Amino acid sequence: MTMLAVFRSEIGRVFSLRPVVSVVVVAAAVYALFYPQPYLNEALRKVPIAVVDQDRTQTSRELARLMDATPDVAVAQVLPDVPTAQREVYARSIFGILLIPQHFERDLLHGRSSPIALYADASYFLMYNRMNGAVTAVARTLGVNFEITRLVGLGVDLPVATAATDPMPFVAVPLFNPQGGYATYILPAAFVLILQQTLLIGVGLLGTLPSGEAIPSRRFRSRFGDTLYESIATVAGKLLAYLVVEALIVTTYLIGLPYLYGIPRLGSVTTILAFALPFTLAVGALGLVVAAILRKPLAVQLVFAAIGLPFFFLAGFAWPAEAMPLAVQWLARLLPSTLAIDGLVDVAQLGASLSDVRNEFAGLWLLAAGYAAIAVVVEISRRRRAAVSMPA
Amino acid sequence: MQRREHQPPGFSLVFWRELAWLRRRPLLLALTAVVPLGLMLLLTAILSAGLATRLPIAVLDLDGSEFSRAVIRAVDATPDDAAVLHVAELSEGRHLIVSRKIRGLLMLPRNLERDVFAGRRPEVVFFYNTQTFTVGNLVLRGANAAIPSVAAGIRISLRTEEGQPVEEAKAAVTPIPLQTHALFNSTLNYVHFLLAALLPAVLQTVVVTTMAYAVGLDVETRHRFAVLRRLGGGLLPAMFGKMLPYTILFLSMLGIADAVLFKLLELPLRGEPSLLVFAGVLFVLACQFIGALLALLLRPVAVAVSVATLLTAPAFGFMGIGFPRLGMNAFAYGYGEILPGTWYLMARIDQTIRGTPIDLSWKPILVLIGFVVVLVGISAARVLQMRSSSELERSP
Repeated sequence: MTMLAVFRSEIGRVFSLRPVVSVVVVAAAVYALFYPQPYLNEALRKVPIAVVDQDRTQTSRELARLMDATPDVAVAQVLPDVPTAQREVYARSIFGILLIPQHFERDLLHGRSSPIALYADASYFLMYNRMNGAVTAVARTLGVNFEITRLVGLGVDLPVATAATDPMPFVAVPLFNPQGGYATYILPAAFVLILQQTLLIGVGLLGTLPSGEAIPSRRFRSRFGDTLYESIATVAGKLLAYLVVEALIVTTYLIGLPYLYGIPRLGSVTTILAFALPFTLAVGALGLVVAAILRKPLAVQLVFAAIGLPFFFLAGFAWPAEAMPLAVQWLARLLPSTLAIDGLVDVAQLGASLSDVRNEFAGLWLLAAGYAAIAVVVEISRRRRAAVSMPA
Repeated sequence: MQRREHQPPGFSLVFWRELAWLRRRPLLLALTAVVPLGLMLLLTAILSAGLATRLPIAVLDLDGSEFSRAVIRAVDATPDDAAVLHVAELSEGRHLIVSRKIRGLLMLPRNLERDVFAGRRPEVVFFYNTQTFTVGNLVLRGANAAIPSVAAGIRISLRTEEGQPVEEAKAAVTPIPLQTHALFNSTLNYVHFLLAALLPAVLQTVVVTTMAYAVGLDVETRHRFAVLRRLGGGLLPAMFGKMLPYTILFLSMLGIADAVLFKLLELPLRGEPSLLVFAGVLFVLACQFIGALLALLLRPVAVAVSVATLLTAPAFGFMGIGFPRLGMNAFAYGYGEILPGTWYLMARIDQTIRGTPIDLSWKPILVLIGFVVVLVGISAARVLQMRSSSELERSP
């Protein structure tokens, strides 16, 4: 069979085999709508906290009011003591306790250090960060205001007082995703992973479901050269077919969906698609290898059902690769998703050029070539087995 | 199939038949034991460090003074950041951030030392990347802690130079010091926060999909379905005899994962262990019956498995560990509500790191009991309905 014939028959199979259509097309469509739902609000706002105000003065109430005014936390309850508030934390009705001790105002007015305490639930990190950030900022601002007022009261000029209270302002500049949006962070990476998952399972199914295509029977064992040529043509034809089928889906996932979900994109469409080419080829070729290993369609489906989550963390995106054991870092590099998430996020979200991500780009081509070579070897051995079992 | 004529039909006959089946089907055994163990091992290896420390940052020191070096040392001394290299200009640093060689860039302006002590308030700027959320926040935490404390040192020295006593100066520069206490996970360890939740999440997907497969094998053909019912000598014994071998298997997987978490990775067990085990049993049963129900409702097996995957593979995001459920839209919140994993993770967090008092621990456990009761009920109703419809077809 020539490459073109394989290409045509494989495209036909993608759309005629129901399990394949349901993974490659239907699942891709469902995930596109379903997966992003938890993150669409982008930011966590108004984490409910309780204030335990043992001071009950104007200043302590002012502090509570300032806390409530931040976008990050909301004062949901005012409670008499810490144990009561702690029970509310256990019940998950609040996630933090701000304790304003007695004599808070008096100490402050007397120029003594007047500490406050935040007990923040650290069993959910994002909530902890929000509460800690908001309360720290408010305490600092209020404290600085007091210090300035006091210095001005002592007869110091306002600019001098400001400089004395904040001699070296610290400015943190987030270069990308400046709002710190959770959807903006997680979706570009997740979309790459969903593409990989659906294509891997789809190709795995194609390779394991019974095919109409019979290996052409020959009276004599064919020469190795012919087998090699035919095997290469078969693998190339199949990969080309997956590329064509995925063209629309990949474009939707990498360009369309981020646009729909309002995720900022700095990179150009051409660069993104150019980068997606070796990714799609590498995943397709890996799928052929997976099919040869797992052999049964149900095995493909079941093995890959739960593998997405570990793959996501392997990518070094949610958890830094620096903190992983070396063996795991090497294993991660065998997956197209690892390089693709790095590269595609750099190109699309950080506006990197192809030359900026040339390592990832070359790595993906290398993976594609490597897996394709394995697929060719598998194909050769399949043909030889078929030739041997064929009655001469 | 091997007949066990000598054994009366009932629960134990189905139970042993299923075990024999598992022995003869390497795929099923691999899926119920090897795959979950392998995936959990992988996740454990990925996150085993628990804390990401000394993340590399670069420094653009335009001042080059003794003071600017002190600022760099202060940032480098935080557990989060390691100042690994100096860059000559901003664009170089930006480039290194984009290529992930460094995670942040600290810029110290020209004449920093002179301007600070002259009261000109020069800005120290820290560039970081929030596209990689966790890492971005971690490097920022280091800089955020170090630089204000350097600034506080300056403020104190400015005051002591004017003749103010040190203690008074200290009190004056931070009028409202904040003491933050991290409740429950005081070291902010990612093993105890994330890995402890990821392992059950993986198991949830594995249990639902493999049960859809295992039960699907029995209900796929009417003949096998009838055999199962006869062997069980009744609806409930047949159902539980079929499910129990897997319950034991999956609970062992959960047990192994927990043994590693508690013994090796020092996950605290502050609550009631029996409650944790009870919640685990309910969680596995609920997941099993979701899988079974899908197999009873959908045919062929492949479709049941596909739908099981579709429902559970993206579930982790809905369970509110990474992004809390509090911040989700109504759909995502509602979907999280109907996942057994959401409630199991709550019960699990309650009994492990939180040490929630017993009287406040019941809600997630009651919800899980509700799941099991409802799912068993629906499955039983569906089996009865399938039986009556097949009998109708058989009688002409």
